[in-house]
Amino acid sequence: MTTSAAPILELKGLCYDYADKKSRFTALDGIDLSVRKGEFVCVLGPSGCGKSTLLRILAGLNRATAGEARVRNQPVKGPGTDRAVVFQGYSLFPWLTAKGNVLFGLKQNGRRYTRRERNEAAMRYLRAVGLEEAADRYPKQLSGGMRQRVAVARALALESEILLMDEPFGAVDPRLRTELQELVSKLSSEEGKTVVFVTHDIHEAILLADRIVVMEPGHIASVVDVPFPHPRVLSDLSKTDEYERLRLLLTLAYYEKTGNLTGEGAGI
Amino acid sequence: MTASAPNREKTDLREKEARFFSLPAGMRCAWFLATALYATNLILAFVLPYFTEHKATYAPGPYAVLLTTAYLLYVLQLLRGKKKSTSDIALVLFAFFLLWETSYKLGWIHNDLLIPSPEGLFHVFVEKPGEIFADVLSSVRLLFTGVVFAIALGTVLGLLAGWIARVREVLLPISNVVTLIPPLMFSAYLIMLLPTFRAAATGVIFFAVFWPTFQGMVARVGQIDPAVIEAARTMGVGTSGMLWKVIFPYCLPGIIGSVSKSLRGAFMCLSGAEMLGINLGIGFFIEKYKSFADYRCVLAGIFTVGVVTTLIDIGVRKLETILVRWTD
Repeated sequence: MTTSAAPILELKGLCYDYADKKSRFTALDGIDLSVRKGEFVCVLGPSGCGKSTLLRILAGLNRATAGEARVRNQPVKGPGTDRAVVFQGYSLFPWLTAKGNVLFGLKQNGRRYTRRERNEAAMRYLRAVGLEEAADRYPKQLSGGMRQRVAVARALALESEILLMDEPFGAVDPRLRTELQELVSKLSSEEGKTVVFVTHDIHEAILLADRIVVMEPGHIASVVDVPFPHPRVLSDLSKTDEYERLRLLLTLAYYEKTGNLTGEGAGI
Repeated sequence: MTASAPNREKTDLREKEARFFSLPAGMRCAWFLATALYATNLILAFVLPYFTEHKATYAPGPYAVLLTTAYLLYVLQLLRGKKKSTSDIALVLFAFFLLWETSYKLGWIHNDLLIPSPEGLFHVFVEKPGEIFADVLSSVRLLFTGVVFAIALGTVLGLLAGWIARVREVLLPISNVVTLIPPLMFSAYLIMLLPTFRAAATGVIFFAVFWPTFQGMVARVGQIDPAVIEAARTMGVGTSGMLWKVIFPYCLPGIIGSVSKSLRGAFMCLSGAEMLGINLGIGFFIEKYKSFADYRCVLAGIFTVGVVTTLIDIGVRKLETILVRWTD
C-alpha cells in the first residue's frame, strides 16, 4: 500500500446542504478525501455528523451542493454498478428469496453468465456469508443478522471493486456483529475490495480499517492509520497495547470537538 | 413393525377421541345445538303441513339439499379450524331458516308473493336449472373480460403514472374527475359507440374497475419503501427494470388484494350492464323476474349472485396465496 498509488475514490471540497423552503442545514462543508485502490477506510463519527451523507454522495444517491466526488477520476453522476452499497436498514427485496436477491445482484453486474454459472455464483456468495442453507427463504423468514448477511452477499454479487457500507451492522446484536465484522474484514482483504465503511463504533473501525477518518459535524476532524495486518480478529487485537493506544486516540478525537460526552454509541 | 401397526392405529383413534372430548364444553354444546336445529329444519320441511289453503306448495327436496350442504360445510369448517364463531354462524343460519319455515307454514306471512317459503325459493333451481346456469355463465364471462382488461390496463398505467411524475400529473387529475362518474351513466353512450350490446356491457364493467385500479396503483407506487428503491438504484436498475422487476413485484400483493374489491364494484354494475340489451346474465335474470313480479325467482337469483360472488372471492384469495408467498 503505497501513498503514490492513484486514488480510486476522491472527494474535493465536497459540500452538501439539506434545504427546504424554510431552512438550510449544512451537512458537509468542504470535505477532502482520497481512497486508494484496495484500501479499507472507516468513516467514524457521532450521529448527525454527515458521514452517511458522505457515503450517499459517493453512492450517487445524493448530489453534492458544491465540490465533487470522483470515482476512478470520473465525476459521480448517479448510482452505478461499479459501487456496491450495503445500507443500515433491511434493503433486501422482500419478494425474492435470499438466493433470488443475490441473483438480482448478479444479473445487474453486467457480466455474461449462463443460467448455471449464475446459480453457482449465487450459491458461492451465499456460502461466503454462511447462508447456504437459507437460500430458499424469504427475507421475512430470516433474522436481522441473516438479512444483513444476504445484503452483503448481494453487494458482493455486483462484483464491483468498490464497496460502500453505511453502518451495515448497526441493528445487529453485539455477538453477531463481531462475527459479521470479521467476515467483512476477511472478504474484503481476500477479494481486494476498496471499502468505505461508515460507523459510529470505535471498535468496529479499528477492527476493519486501514485508515480511520474521524468526522465532526460537517468536517473531517482527523485521520488515523491502523497498522494491524489483515485478517484481524477482535479478541486477539484487543489485548495489544497498540490497540489500546489507538482506542484512546480515537476516543479523544471522537469527543474532542463534538462536545458529546455522554458517549452515546461510541462503544467505549 | 407389523405388530406395532395396529397398536399405533389404536392410539391414533384414542388421540382423536381425546381431542374431540378435549374440545371446550361450550363448543361441543354449540355443535349439538346446531345439529339439532338442522335436524329440526329437515323434519319440519318434510313433515310440517301447510296450515293455510291458499299457499303454493313445493316439494321440499331442493331445500333439504341446501340445508344439508350448509350443514356439511359447517362440519367441515368445524373440523378444520377451532374458531368459536363457526358454530355461531351455523346457529344463526339454521335459526333463521326455522323461523322462516314455521312462520310461512303456520300462515303468519300474509304476502306469500313477496315472501315465498324456503321450499319455494330453492325449488327454482330445479325448475330452471338451464336458464340459471346459462345466465351465471354469461355473467361470469362478462365480468371476467371486463375485469381482466381493466385490471391489466389500470395496473400498467398506474405503474407508469405512479413512477413517472409527468405521466402522473396528466392522468391523475383526469382520473379524479372521471372516477366520480358512475359507470352506468355513460352506458347509453357506450351502446351507441360500441358494436355490440355485449361490448357495451363489458365497457361498463371495465370502467367500474379501471379507474379505481389505476388510482390504487398510483397510491401504492407512492407508498413504496424508499430503501427498496434506493437499493435497486445502487444496483444500476434502469427505468424499465425499476417498473417491472422492482415496483411491480413489490406491489403485487396489493394488486391482488384489491381484486376482490374491484370485483365488488363490478358486481354492482352487473345488472345495469346486463340490462343494456344482452338479455342474458344473472343480473338480467333478477330484473326480468322482477318485472314479472315473480319474487321467488328474484330471491333465487339474488341467492345465486351471493354464491357466485363468494366462490369468485374464495378463488381470488387462493390465487393470492399461490402467487404471493413472501408477505406476512
